[in-house]
Amino acid sequence: MGKKKCVAMLLAGGKGSRLSSLTKSLAKPAIPFGGKYRIIDFTLSNCTNSGIDTVGVLTQYQPLVLNSYIGIGSAWDLDRKDGGVTVLPPYSESSEVKWYTGTASAIYQNMTYLMQFDPEYVLILSGDHIYKMDYSHMLDYHIEKGADATISVIEVPWDEANRFGIMNTTKEMKVVEFEEKPQFPQSNLASMGIYIFNWSLLKEYLEMDARNPESSHDFGKDIIPLLLDENKKLFAYPFAGYWKDVGTVKSLWEANMDLLDEKNQLNLFDYSWRIYSVNPNHPPQLITSEAEVVDSLINEGCTVEGYVNKSVLFQGVAVEKGASVRETVVMPNAVISKDAYIERAIVPSNLVIPEGVVIRPDIGSDEIILVTEEIIKEMQAH
Amino acid sequence: MDKKLLGVIDATTYQEGLEPFVDHRSLAALPFGGRYRLIDFILSNMVNSGIRSVAIFPKFQYRSLMDHLGSGKDWELNRKRDGLFFFPSQINSDGIGSFTHFAENMDYFQRSTQQYALIANCYTVANIDFRKVLEAHIHAKCDITEVRKDGRSMEMYLVKLSLLTDLIEKRRETGYSSMKDVVTDLNHSYKICHYEYNGYVNMIDSISSYYQSNMSLLNSATWKSLFTKEHPIYTKVKDEPPTHYLNGSHVLNSVIANGCQIEGHVENCIIFRGVKVGKGSVIKNSIIMQKSQIGENCVLDSCIFDKDVKVEPCSMMRGSMESPFVVRKGTIQGALMKS
Repeated sequence: MGKKKCVAMLLAGGKGSRLSSLTKSLAKPAIPFGGKYRIIDFTLSNCTNSGIDTVGVLTQYQPLVLNSYIGIGSAWDLDRKDGGVTVLPPYSESSEVKWYTGTASAIYQNMTYLMQFDPEYVLILSGDHIYKMDYSHMLDYHIEKGADATISVIEVPWDEANRFGIMNTTKEMKVVEFEEKPQFPQSNLASMGIYIFNWSLLKEYLEMDARNPESSHDFGKDIIPLLLDENKKLFAYPFAGYWKDVGTVKSLWEANMDLLDEKNQLNLFDYSWRIYSVNPNHPPQLITSEAEVVDSLINEGCTVEGYVNKSVLFQGVAVEKGASVRETVVMPNAVISKDAYIERAIVPSNLVIPEGVVIRPDIGSDEIILVTEEIIKEMQAH
Repeated sequence: MDKKLLGVIDATTYQEGLEPFVDHRSLAALPFGGRYRLIDFILSNMVNSGIRSVAIFPKFQYRSLMDHLGSGKDWELNRKRDGLFFFPSQINSDGIGSFTHFAENMDYFQRSTQQYALIANCYTVANIDFRKVLEAHIHAKCDITEVRKDGRSMEMYLVKLSLLTDLIEKRRETGYSSMKDVVTDLNHSYKICHYEYNGYVNMIDSISSYYQSNMSLLNSATWKSLFTKEHPIYTKVKDEPPTHYLNGSHVLNSVIANGCQIEGHVENCIIFRGVKVGKGSVIKNSIIMQKSQIGENCVLDSCIFDKDVKVEPCSMMRGSMESPFVVRKGTIQGALMKS
């Protein structure tokens, strides 16, 4: 293996428990998003578009879908002879299986992976977030500042700052303090969970952290505070643009709806920063003469015979005659049968909404329904 | 069954009637059905029939064809054994299954271990299972089987590989220059069989047949027979986002590929990848190929646009279903160039 300047480690083992049944059988980074993507496509595409060709993907929770989706990385042009994408699941060592107990322990346990490339810098990423970012700019910034570690931050509304890990910085963006979900935030610069470390320093501190039985082995909770304690040079890299952590059913729905805005910041139509994904082979979309499609995002392989308004339809979805789909995200291969009505909902993959069933939130409620077999049965009983 | 059949695609055909579309590209690479090229159909049919070795014989303007096929990965033909072979020709030869052309690449036929060969043209839109043709061929102990639709030749022939090499080698003595010559000649002792195919077939040989067969996709029976889950039609993968139907768009009875941004009225159309339709524009009965951009408030009826056509706002263009208005690749159509 050749020496690499920068190797990315992508944490993709998240469960996303607030996403309820959507993450029952797949990890959060594998959740479908935006009509054809999975959440992890954004970070993987960012890597490719930023010129990073070596990416270790750390999986743990429900890895089957994710593993087969990533494959050898060809969808993101990451099938390389030297480097490329490598899926790194937890493994056993002589006596026991060592599960990843925290973000730092996941990296610590894969130090041998990193050592074979002997990189100058390590980029730590999370596969849970939707955003477009040029990591090469962040790396230039890190080098220019002569930093030991750089953390990407985004300005969040002040009244939400208490939900994030907040970086308190000097005017020069040097980090002086890190506060996890502070009750009284002193800054609104939230950590995006994207870090660049000098590899030699990271190695030293991961080893130190691994020896500490008190540590929870987490970058935010343990490694960053430890570095600050030791007066290391930490800088915050300000990012401006679309960034979303879709932690809940509602935020997942909202992020999908954001794409319907003509001037949305994520702009999937920007060919200079393409979002790559595994392209399933489907015929084009067929919009029949009975259909009406308004203000929606529709993928290949869909057949629309009904009414679709302000919705996102993934590949292979069928909307049958007389059916209405409003403000709804319909995941791959789901079927909205004849005369069914669905509003403000997420329909998971492969689910069939039977004929004539009406699913919508109570009037006045701003709830988003995650449709399940149980909900359908309940609605049919009415 | 897998190793028995060899695929041979004759992509040397030049259809004069399709001149505006094929003067810069091989007929095999002609865009069709929103996201395909003509060759995708025969190539996918072959792959779905278990054919693992396909030889393509192109002649004219094959740059776009090679670009489309690449290593054959999208058809899973990028194999260590067998796979996709490309044999461009320099010599002027004519007729389907042109033996002279094959003779230049005799090595391929001699090296192949398959027992039978399927020789097909590159401009037929269909979804055929050739395993059934082979079965019938073996069962009836035929020498050559011609695939037909309603009694008309589909210009696809199944033949034992040894007989094919024989025919190629003895072309000067026999005077046969192609499979067509053999099956239409009555003065030989070969057993010629006909396999009647019942499914949807369209052979593209003129602007009118190109237009009609694209439009026939809007018929749901055609759609269902051509696009099945069991026998998908593969094509080169593109990373286009889903199509965005913006506020003010009105789309009905149309086939739309990915990556489009539609703000206007689209009715009875085949819209390829990455097409933009501006606000207030009305497009009917038209075929719009990749990346064409239609400005605001245009009125288009019965048009065929090749790739990358730009239409300035407030333009009006009208053909008829019998004679669609054809626009060449990469041209700019202004408001003053009304037809």
